Amino acid sequence: MRSFSMKRFGLLAMLVIALGLLVFITTHARANTPGTGSMNEAASPNWSLAEAGLSAPVLAITPPPAAQEPCLSCHILGQNKGLWTPIARWALFGGLGLVFIFGVYRSANTWVTRSPWKSFTSRAAGWVDERYKISEPLTKILKKPVPKYALHWWYCLGGITAFLFVVQGITGILLAFYYKPTPEAAYSSIQYIETQVYLGSAIRAIHHWCANGMIVMCVAHMLRVFIMGAYKRPRELNWLSGVLLLILTLVFGFTGYLLPWDQRAFWATTVGSEIAGAIPAIGNLALVFLRVGWNVTGETLSRFYGLHVIVVPLATVAFMGAHFIMIRRQGIAKPL
Amino acid sequence: MTDKELSPEESIPFFPDHVKTEFFVVLGIMAVVLIIAIAGLIKPVGVGEPADPLNTPLHVKPEWYFLSLYQILKKIPPMVLGIQGKVIGVVIPILLVALIFIWPFLDNKPDKSRRIYWIRLAFAIFAVVAIIALTIWGEVS
Repeated sequence: MRSFSMKRFGLLAMLVIALGLLVFITTHARANTPGTGSMNEAASPNWSLAEAGLSAPVLAITPPPAAQEPCLSCHILGQNKGLWTPIARWALFGGLGLVFIFGVYRSANTWVTRSPWKSFTSRAAGWVDERYKISEPLTKILKKPVPKYALHWWYCLGGITAFLFVVQGITGILLAFYYKPTPEAAYSSIQYIETQVYLGSAIRAIHHWCANGMIVMCVAHMLRVFIMGAYKRPRELNWLSGVLLLILTLVFGFTGYLLPWDQRAFWATTVGSEIAGAIPAIGNLALVFLRVGWNVTGETLSRFYGLHVIVVPLATVAFMGAHFIMIRRQGIAKPL
Repeated sequence: MTDKELSPEESIPFFPDHVKTEFFVVLGIMAVVLIIAIAGLIKPVGVGEPADPLNTPLHVKPEWYFLSLYQILKKIPPMVLGIQGKVIGVVIPILLVALIFIWPFLDNKPDKSRRIYWIRLAFAIFAVVAIIALTIWGEVS
């Protein structure tokens, strides 16, 4: 432990001064910025009073606070310029300030220590590696050789399926923000997404068409594996998990189809669950499990929503993880 | 593990070479996704009539990927050898999936030559054409 030194104190002082300057500049800039939403100022009675000069000293009147309630529909419709402006301002001024502080600190440090500057990234990497020793296994994972025959286009079908699953996850989360899984509200919430929500129809189109694309890619990947015999020993479990993933993808399609709660969806689910009810022995159980009762009702919608949004994604992620780990362990099957 | 360790000549490192190729594939898909998004803005997917449990439409169709199975189910006569046709139409797809599921354990001999690829390719094409034909039949009927 080194004792207190003048050099370190100087560095610290410079840092504090720079920070203080930054805070001063940003707050000053904000104080001078006219309030967002000029409409609110015009509507305020205090302002008109001040402008008319009816009140005694003008300076004594404190300006009214900016309206506290943000325009909620503006946020959904994408007309929310006032919400992003402060973030953009902080990013700009704060970023410039950080660059300035970094420059000062770096110059002072190289001058004080008389040694070349060590970048923050290598410092952070060294800090983590010193504690968790991840550099060696990480290098092993990243430098694992991939055979050149795996660069043919037909080897990327499975990867495309996985990527489309990620796309479905992201767009599905965005849709879930506005979708309401009740028979009264489901249909109108889909209409709301399509007509009112900013980029809502684009997100729904991506979710709709990538779902179809995911099934096509899944089947194409399966056919590739089948034709090339890549399911043979020692890769039997890869095939099993892959078939389960295809079934899960189809369950995604079946449960997601009901969610718009229109005529097509309702009757397709009615017929689909009726077919499940015709399975010998477990038919009635399957029917009641899918419909939550003997008819397709709002309970069915909740059940399908829960399956579509929580159960099936979790199962898919688990089986995808297993699928990938097994591929990683065994490498890509060598064609003849 | 049966595969031998790969020599440097016939392999590339996973990072950065292979990740780079995968990145370009992802870029290509992102371009397609962007096109879909623009198409969705111009022409939304849309919803049909609101669900009405009291009013059955004339034609009930599942999504296209269930259409071939649905078509098989529809075309089986109501009674076959004393068993309900509906039950047969449900059991056949389940058996098919079960067959696909345990296929690696049935076909477990290592491949001898490339000829087997062409046989399997022909079989796959036959299956795909059959499914497409059934789907189109289900779509127009």
